[in-house]
Amino acid sequence: MSYLNALRLHFAGQFQANVSSVNNDPDHFNNATFRPNYQKMQGPGGVPPNGWFNPQGDAAFRLRGCKVTAAWMPSGPVSAPDKVISYIIADSDEQAPAKLVDLDSEQQLTSEIWGLQVRIADQEGNTVMCSDFEAAAFMDIWGRSTGGGGDVNAGAMYQSVLTNVTWGDVSDSPFLTALQQASADGLLSIKFNVDGLSMDFQSPDFMCGRIAGTIGPAAPDEPQQLLIGRQFMADCPVTGGFPFPNGQINFFAGVVDGEGGNIYLDLGNALPTATTGGAMVDLGDLTLNVYDPLTTPANPAGTLTPLGTIPASEYIDADWYSETAGVVALPLNAAQLQAIASAQLVLTGNPGVTISEWSSGAFVRADCFVYRLSPGDQPQISVYATQWGRRLPGVDISFEADPSQLQAQADLPVAIPPEALGLKTGAIATTDNNGCAVLTLSPTDPGTPRYFGNGADYGIDGQVYGIRPSFVGTQYNGGPVNQWNFISVLLWSAFTPSNPVTWADLQPTFQQYANLYPVMNRFLNLGDYNSVVANAGLLMLAFGLNPGDPNVMPVTRDLSLAKRNAILAWLQKPLPAPTGWQPVTPARKAAAFAPTAAAAVPLRKGGKTAALARRLILQKK
Amino acid sequence: MIRLQRSMIAGLEGPAPAVESVWTALQSAIELEHATIPVYLYALYSLNPASNQEIAGIIQSVVVEEMLHMTLASNVLNALGGSPQIDQPGFIPTYPGALPGGVQGELEVNLAPFSTTQLAAFLQIEEPEDPLNFPSALAETDTITIGEFYTAISDAIAALGDGAFVDPPRNQVGPDLMYESIVVVNVATAQQAISTIVEQGEGTTTSPEAVVGIGYAHYYRYMQIQKGHLLVKVPGADPPYAYTGAPVPFDSGGVYAVPTNPSLSPYPPGSVQAFANDNFNYTYTSLLIALHELFNGAATDDQMNRAIGLMMSLKGQAKGMMSGIPDPSVITGPSFEYQPVNPKA
Repeated sequence: MSYLNALRLHFAGQFQANVSSVNNDPDHFNNATFRPNYQKMQGPGGVPPNGWFNPQGDAAFRLRGCKVTAAWMPSGPVSAPDKVISYIIADSDEQAPAKLVDLDSEQQLTSEIWGLQVRIADQEGNTVMCSDFEAAAFMDIWGRSTGGGGDVNAGAMYQSVLTNVTWGDVSDSPFLTALQQASADGLLSIKFNVDGLSMDFQSPDFMCGRIAGTIGPAAPDEPQQLLIGRQFMADCPVTGGFPFPNGQINFFAGVVDGEGGNIYLDLGNALPTATTGGAMVDLGDLTLNVYDPLTTPANPAGTLTPLGTIPASEYIDADWYSETAGVVALPLNAAQLQAIASAQLVLTGNPGVTISEWSSGAFVRADCFVYRLSPGDQPQISVYATQWGRRLPGVDISFEADPSQLQAQADLPVAIPPEALGLKTGAIATTDNNGCAVLTLSPTDPGTPRYFGNGADYGIDGQVYGIRPSFVGTQYNGGPVNQWNFISVLLWSAFTPSNPVTWADLQPTFQQYANLYPVMNRFLNLGDYNSVVANAGLLMLAFGLNPGDPNVMPVTRDLSLAKRNAILAWLQKPLPAPTGWQPVTPARKAAAFAPTAAAAVPLRKGGKTAALARRLILQKK
Repeated sequence: MIRLQRSMIAGLEGPAPAVESVWTALQSAIELEHATIPVYLYALYSLNPASNQEIAGIIQSVVVEEMLHMTLASNVLNALGGSPQIDQPGFIPTYPGALPGGVQGELEVNLAPFSTTQLAAFLQIEEPEDPLNFPSALAETDTITIGEFYTAISDAIAALGDGAFVDPPRNQVGPDLMYESIVVVNVATAQQAISTIVEQGEGTTTSPEAVVGIGYAHYYRYMQIQKGHLLVKVPGADPPYAYTGAPVPFDSGGVYAVPTNPSLSPYPPGSVQAFANDNFNYTYTSLLIALHELFNGAATDDQMNRAIGLMMSLKGQAKGMMSGIPDPSVITGPSFEYQPVNPKA
């Protein structure tokens, strides 16, 4: 049971993701060479790059103007007088805005939303449902828009659960009453698609984009960020930019509802748009087929049997996307349900437009796929295997180091030392009756492989790694691999401060945050002893919050527990700064910086675009 | 000194005031204490801290105490069985306009960037009542001073007696959550809370220094800006204080060009300014909702932290929009309006 269900609502509107861009450049983590202009907006056309496209970003993630656009019950579409169709989807009205956070400067392609409350409210803002969005990262990012270039073209999707669900008076909405009853475990399932980001700093839509999503019930035994469903796998050539599938349709999932006689397809992040945030490209009528691989001389390609069609006239309509969030239900009769039970599904459109399940119908992916770890942690990472949309028990899953999609900067290698990740060579885990296999890591101290100046100068804490789960049994493979389907780990360096902790222990960390997040200048100078001491009370509060709190410092959630504890211990009773201590003057060692126009191009196009161009997989070519 | 309408103390006089009348007066007190906060914050965040750091520090110190006063008035109201009403549109005054309960036409309060004119308004708001200048005959008129307002509340509480207080202590935001706060359980603690409000605002009748808290009463803090120097003690002199301390310079060039009373000419829907202003007002409304919960039974660390988090978010947003971030050619002043949906409906 998930959002992709007969009982669901759709919503659409705008999101804001006001991320800071200074930390998009790994070289900006070098305190010794940081220059004041790295905190300034980039110049015209990205020259000079300065602090890139939004140096003053505060990381806020907001829902703006999101309205319930449709709701469905097993009996059909919901209409008046059910109040839900007049309601809004809003973020919190009782805590600070949520935050959008990269895992690391060298893994910017799993941006997570932290501290988001999701509410259903009436048009006056009165809450009828309040919940906490379990932090999750985007998946299946691609070059959705075929025009323009860079981050503004990108589309991606988020799936997670809503926890701590509380309900107001829903008696005037049969739909919400049913949803409340279906979420007896206090969980709801949510999935939304984001695209159409504006990077024009003079536009009222700056750092905003389009959001369209779906909310439905969730069951506690389901994965939280992944559908147990039919997985359509896109074949994407590896390029230096956002992937775009050969078959023009991006990864998506479907769920068969045997009882209701339907298959639900979530095309919300699967169909390209002609303009950023615009209507869908006409790919022709989209037909769902079941494939029979039996070939004969007269029929060398096997047989596609149509099951149902989504007319082009329907999905290219300007309102289709906001009213459905891309979810389509196709009715299936008993014979069709039987035919697809263990057979490959293929979605086709105009010539060349196609996407299908693997020929094996199998799929494996980690539920949560982003981890922040300290040496000594013993994380248990759940991956789920499915076949033909059903859980696949008793199969072996292998886990291999795969840093290919991480975005290494020259001289800042990723994934070394490999052994620190604590991933055994040839690691295998077997799925249980729920199709779930658990990988346990035993990470150790990676040292400081990303310090600058050959390790002499403070740099990026810890190391990033990638782990790719795969089937051991080759019979389960049978189609294109999703490059984004891997587990990302940020493993922090061990840190042992002086006892008691001194300013000298912490100053590099504070200085780095002061450099990377100019928004902090509105509150204090984190690089200055006196300013930090003067604000010790507020800093203790902010550094002491739970990572799920929207106000935790650092917003980037990239501070190790060891350093956090040292900071809290020091703030409790700050020792005097060493005699003669002065705030660091940035750039004391910096060389003159004269970027070429060509080097600035990826910067101008956005952080994700620039990160994509740095991927290891490209560097090795 | 500003004057309030006598109706603010309706029902408080006489030997047996109704507790409901005291509730009403205390709700007015909460609104009055809150009403100056947007005005002070607007001026505070209009200052470029690079050139007007001292002035910013002075205004900030006053704002923090106005928040304490809101808390103290709420504690007294809760202790008497009332419930502060904070999360509603009418809680926020309209700018420009009189302060809650204020006499129309006497002092129009503006949301305006810092200036010597705005400073004069601050001084007028915080000016202490001087009994020598204001003989008792004035009490017979239709207006009262803020000091008389609080005295009337304090006297009415004494008339109600300890029996009017809820036992055990009810919905109190104590010093564990807010520095210098007072848990109100009886007449004595209620009067202590009220005298803290008055003395931090006005000083005592004999000294510019408040009994509770660090430094001078608000009027004298602001007067330091007008005089251009910190107020310092001068032992042996008469009076033993003088504005001869460290300079408090005002750089008029270090004030962002934000509009005065932005709600008078609303930012066009769909504009960059409306975007930032709507985000701000939604956060501000969220803060009022969070404070309403804090003062109505959720007096916990977590709830206080949520409120502080919202205050910090407001500070960051205000400083950004008022200083022209991200586009230096677009300056936006937050209008401090009640807005429970984002963007504004």
